[in-house]
Amino acid sequence: MQRNNKIIHLLIVMSVIFFSLMAYLTYIQLFTSKKTETSSYNRRQWLKEDDTKRGEIYDRNGVILAKSSKVKGKWERNYPYGSLYSHIIGYNSEIYGRSLIEEKFNKYLLNINELSSVIGLNGNLLNSKKVGNNIYLTIDNNLQKLASDLMGSKNGAIVVMNPKTGGILAMVSKPGFDPNNQALVNKWKELVDSEDSPFLPRATQGLYAPGSTFKIAVTASALENGMDGLTFDDKGVVTIDGKVFSNSKKKAYGRVNLEKALTVSSNVAFSQIGVKLGENNIKNIASKIGMGQVIPFDLPVSKSVFPYGSMGKTDMAAVAIGQGKMMVTPLHMAMIASSIANNGIMMKPIMVSRIVNAGGKEIKKWGPEELRNVMPADIATKVKNMMLKVVSNGTGKSAAINGINVAGKTGTAENEVVGKEHAWFVGFAPAENPQVAVAVIVEYSGSSGGSVSAPIAGRLMEAYLRGSRR
Amino acid sequence: MFKFLSLRRPINMLIIANIIAFGLLYFYKKPYDKLVLVEGLAVTALICVSYFLIIKKNMGDEYLFLVVAMLASLGVLMIYRLDQELGFKQIMWLVAGIVLFFLSFYFYTKIKFLEKLMLYYFAASILLFIATLIIGSNINGSTNWIRIAGYSFQPSELIKILFVMTIACFFKNSEQFIFKTKTLNLKWKLNNKEFKNKIAFFLIVYSYIGFLVLQKEWGTALLLFLIFFMILYAFEDDIKLLLLNGAAAVSGALVGCFFVYHIKIRVAMWLNPWADAAGKGYQITQSLFAIGAGGFFGSGIGMGKPNLIPEVKTDFIFSAICEETGIFGGIAVILLYFILVYRGFKITLYTKDLFKKLVALGITLMFGFQTFIIIGGVIKLIPLTGITLPFISYGGSSLTSGFIALGILQALSKESYLGEEVIENAAE
Repeated sequence: MQRNNKIIHLLIVMSVIFFSLMAYLTYIQLFTSKKTETSSYNRRQWLKEDDTKRGEIYDRNGVILAKSSKVKGKWERNYPYGSLYSHIIGYNSEIYGRSLIEEKFNKYLLNINELSSVIGLNGNLLNSKKVGNNIYLTIDNNLQKLASDLMGSKNGAIVVMNPKTGGILAMVSKPGFDPNNQALVNKWKELVDSEDSPFLPRATQGLYAPGSTFKIAVTASALENGMDGLTFDDKGVVTIDGKVFSNSKKKAYGRVNLEKALTVSSNVAFSQIGVKLGENNIKNIASKIGMGQVIPFDLPVSKSVFPYGSMGKTDMAAVAIGQGKMMVTPLHMAMIASSIANNGIMMKPIMVSRIVNAGGKEIKKWGPEELRNVMPADIATKVKNMMLKVVSNGTGKSAAINGINVAGKTGTAENEVVGKEHAWFVGFAPAENPQVAVAVIVEYSGSSGGSVSAPIAGRLMEAYLRGSRR
Repeated sequence: MFKFLSLRRPINMLIIANIIAFGLLYFYKKPYDKLVLVEGLAVTALICVSYFLIIKKNMGDEYLFLVVAMLASLGVLMIYRLDQELGFKQIMWLVAGIVLFFLSFYFYTKIKFLEKLMLYYFAASILLFIATLIIGSNINGSTNWIRIAGYSFQPSELIKILFVMTIACFFKNSEQFIFKTKTLNLKWKLNNKEFKNKIAFFLIVYSYIGFLVLQKEWGTALLLFLIFFMILYAFEDDIKLLLLNGAAAVSGALVGCFFVYHIKIRVAMWLNPWADAAGKGYQITQSLFAIGAGGFFGSGIGMGKPNLIPEVKTDFIFSAICEETGIFGGIAVILLYFILVYRGFKITLYTKDLFKKLVALGITLMFGFQTFIIIGGVIKLIPLTGITLPFISYGGSSLTSGFIALGILQALSKESYLGEEVIENAAE
């Protein structure tokens, strides 16, 4: 009978391995099938694509940005605006796979779901045509074109968004590339080898030091910690723990208060504010604005990095003037500016507003969603008023628009090439009822944010505000 | 009439499943192929006749055959859907398999001296091995087929059954073994006779596995080792020997993982098939795509694209089932195998005679582990080793040897049931 007991052990072993088969099968279906389904090695999707008309992609006003047409019996994707949307829509190629919206929303564009595989049975039997769903973006095609033109041949990124809804109105990353199939085939090797990394969607995945634009967050923290009345004697240079922090061109501003410090972007004052705030307050504001945290979005977004364990005084000073080891994406900077415009509340960014099926019926819709509370409303108002001063008589004058109150902040971000700083500008307008927020970065411009990026931001906000009044 | 259609009797479930499956297959492609219906009807009728024969002739466990018939019908259905011509051949093999099932049942119940033939089983296996090595043909990188008059035959399928018989003989009656091997082992200076026997027995077992490794049949080698190791656990009281064998296997496997190119690749492709998805990881990634494409409910039979999977009719047929019937279909198949294994264990437990107990256990373990090794392989739970899915995969050798083993199990079930009745009567 002892033998039978041991045989029962074997039965238990068998039960365990059979159960593990079923459990693992369920596991791969639940957790990995999504990944495998869109893998570019999966030839199934291309077979499906051969007989399904991929859905169209429209801007907010119904302008077609991507469509499929039949060429020699096969559906082919084309993008009428060429490189304009290469870092939003991406590409859809049988050879190179797919990227960005084309990848993330592939299921909708091809109308693949559990239900349709049941309904699809009928479709196949009746040999009916299969058509995917259409996608509407929050993008304004005219504004996107203008943003791209204003960036010209320079490298960098522009994000224009509605601060109250989080809807992205324009998002340009340069350099781009032509995502049309033939162009991809011709240029693929050149694009892959290029040192300008044309495949990097800079607006969402490019990481830059925020430079002085970060001072708006530090200002908010300073206000929250009761530093309104604080003044500093700005001699153009200050030494903290043996490290020298100096203003742009070592200009001395004399006695400055917080507002004046932000308006002239005084590194001397802000480095000292950083030390005064201390490690906890700095880390606190960094986490409140979402440094190092995932930004949920319709496109992949790099996490902004804030790689500090315990901070020394020089670290605090460097962070307070936007230098040091932290890095942000242009999208994140636009969201931070938007949260000041939106009474301290950061909205979740939206790119895809709705999905409509071939029959015109809306099947999915995304509305405004609050992401986090960055600061109290009264602090946001105070920061906003200071940012108005930056544009009315500070470093951001060239962002000013006739008849509209613009709030903003310039920035100049040091990088690995000395003397070729990145130029930043973040801002929003009209200050009393913000409709549009902007973040602009021009790479290796070698000049200040005020002279390179602020005019671009100004033109974009003006075009949007005047255009939407029309 | 309604009683006939009742789902209470499992045979009716099988009939209804077959009617639905072959009916749908008929409608799946224009022009409608009446042959599908004829073949479906033939398969179902054959199963019904066999089943009633088992009941009428009191041939023991009635579920064994039903479960296998369900699996085999599914196999025929899938193979027919993948390749019409092969589907037709598979039906022929199924007919042959069922005939062999009854023959094997008959001979097993009639021949009483099977437990005394250990060296003959071994000798037959060695002959088959050597024949394969000399006149075998190379199919898909493994030299494990013999081609006779246009038919390919895979000896390792038969060797599995011979292996189980060899093991059973040893444990039942080591005396015959001593008698026979006395002359062979004279050179050895070991004093302990029993220990000497065991060493010789292990040599026999490992020579089976060694030959399979020579033929690069990793899957079957693993299968035989697992059967051997499990039986050793249940029937060998010396825990040291068990640990020794376990250690030998683990070190062998480790050496294989690091130094044998084929195994190295399989392990690497198990850990990360995406590293070379277009090359060496192609099979497993295509299998995962198929399973992923099926979702929970499948695309429907005939509606998926399982032809994209390489080797889909043999090793990867489970992926095709998952694609077209979903993982619910896949889990149902796994559960059917589990019922088969469970019935096998029940028979094992009720059987009194040591030899018969061992044969029943060996065959049950063979079905169970073979299923685990191939399904685990194609879903990437364990490294992939080429081996067929019992009763479902395409292939005459696999299907017929499976039915031979099932015939033996059926014969054992009859005796174990008789034993059960005796116990019940005694209890009254």
